[in-house]
Amino acid sequence: MTDVPMSLSKTYRRRLPRGFAGRGGLWLGLALLGGFVVLGFAGSFVSLPPPEKIDLLTRLAPPSAVHPLGTDHLGRDVLARLIGAVPVSLGAAIATMAAILAIALPWGLTAALAGGKVDALLMRLADIVMAFPTLVLALAVIGFLGASLEASIIGVAAAWWPSNARLLRALVLSARQRDFVRAAGLAGASPARVIWRHVLPQVLPPLAVIVSLEMASVLLVLSSLSFLGIGAQAPTPEWGAMLNEARPFFARAPHMLLVPGLAVTLAVLAFNLIGEGLRDMLDQREPYKW
Amino acid sequence: MTRFLFWRLITAIPTLFGMSLLAFFIVSLTPGDPVMQELRAMGSAFSPEDVAAMRAEFGLDKPLPVRYVLWLGDAVRGEFGTSIASGRSVIDEISIYLPATLTLAASALVGAVAISLTLGIAAVSAPRGVAALLRTFTVVLVSIPSFWMALLLIWVFVMQLGWARLVGNGSLGDLVLPTVTLSLAAGASLGRVVHERIRAEMCEDHVRLAIAKGQSPASILIRHIAPRIIGPLATAWANTLGALLGGAVIVETIFGWPGLGQLILQAIAQRDYPIIQAYLVFMGLGYFATSLLADVIVIISDPQLRRGLAYD
Repeated sequence: MTDVPMSLSKTYRRRLPRGFAGRGGLWLGLALLGGFVVLGFAGSFVSLPPPEKIDLLTRLAPPSAVHPLGTDHLGRDVLARLIGAVPVSLGAAIATMAAILAIALPWGLTAALAGGKVDALLMRLADIVMAFPTLVLALAVIGFLGASLEASIIGVAAAWWPSNARLLRALVLSARQRDFVRAAGLAGASPARVIWRHVLPQVLPPLAVIVSLEMASVLLVLSSLSFLGIGAQAPTPEWGAMLNEARPFFARAPHMLLVPGLAVTLAVLAFNLIGEGLRDMLDQREPYKW
Repeated sequence: MTRFLFWRLITAIPTLFGMSLLAFFIVSLTPGDPVMQELRAMGSAFSPEDVAAMRAEFGLDKPLPVRYVLWLGDAVRGEFGTSIASGRSVIDEISIYLPATLTLAASALVGAVAISLTLGIAAVSAPRGVAALLRTFTVVLVSIPSFWMALLLIWVFVMQLGWARLVGNGSLGDLVLPTVTLSLAAGASLGRVVHERIRAEMCEDHVRLAIAKGQSPASILIRHIAPRIIGPLATAWANTLGALLGGAVIVETIFGWPGLGQLILQAIAQRDYPIIQAYLVFMGLGYFATSLLADVIVIISDPQLRRGLAYD
């Protein structure tokens, strides 16, 4: 963003206050995410009962001074479980995203750079996996591995990587066609240098947008799987699993329904806002007004 | 066009073949013995001979590659064997549950397309403040997990207001809440695509010219922007339909909608592999058919592609 010419950066500044979903959204998203990180660490500083501690005498208690967010059907502190779930839920999403990129990056890069038959073969293989709806394939893989958080991470990554491999291939192909990249090649730069110095810097910003938007979707899918009972298993605190446990009781204890659902929504919102904010920053064009 | 369809189908053969391999092996290699599980579930005592007999009945005594060839041969003729849990033919089981899932996915897709066009078009044409508000609304809507949305809707409309009931029988009235749940989320994420596409077109010179000529926004939208975004949107609709068919699993479970979601979750729990295999094949084929339809729309809507096809 440093080499934006003066005139462009002016229109860019004028255009940005598009409210919540523009740069304001980016900051709000980052703040939300920071809030979750702080919350994750807060568990070790604030004295809370352990998230797995069962107390059958205080079942389904509404929020009070002792239990700020109430207790669940086993008398466990909802706030403690909410905080205990931060590293589990976010960590699972990060692990899944890392696994997706670990396959998609080399796959897409190889396809784009090798071209020809290798490209065709790699893309056909990706097509086969993409022929199934993501959740359907993830369900099959989890059926294969047995229900657990690890299995749902593997299942989602296994079903998800092809679309990202395709996106990366398209990004690299369009980056390689730019004149200055061709010029670098013609001027005698080694292929490795062309890729490292000229192609990758073009791919990284859109990749950042993709990664943060995908993080939002991955979080949603992982919590859905836990909600279905085939992701994180009891007694691990996880937002989707907490909602699943709350289902039979939510008429009597609505706080059990509201708290974890709000946590998932805010975490997903954080990544969506960051992704959209980054995209707005990268897209410098101004639409004509009618 | 016939030529394109012909080649598209020919080149799809390896993909469909790979799909069948994946569907067969991912299920067949799954640990856990469906025969033992079923025999235990029956409750009565059983001898090793019973196990061997049941294995032979389901063809599980043959080596895996042979089973694959036999299974594929049957599958091509529309035969997917019998369900281990219920003993009924898989095709019968699927045809009982499939219509409900298709109805839900189709009504949710219609709802999602309507919501997305409204959100997307309003976000570019409304005054600044309203547009920002709409985009905010869209981002928040995209971020709400469908299972939470479903539970909130149940809490409000079933428990507080009593306008709907939870244990339905698959009638039209029971379709409303699941459709609203699915189409809100899908409509919001499609709305982002619509907004992005229209916004990208509005940066182009041909739109600038149309504005300069004094055309009305509606006419610009219909005559200049719509033809150029219909192709990408068709692809997005096809993907959404796939996501709706898969995502219906969650919403069907919560609302007790008698669709494939119920069948597949039960089948996964019981390791009823003929059902899981058939489910994967049907989902894959359905998805394949929709994306083929999307490709046809892409070509019809793009004169360059249309002419290119006519020339080769």
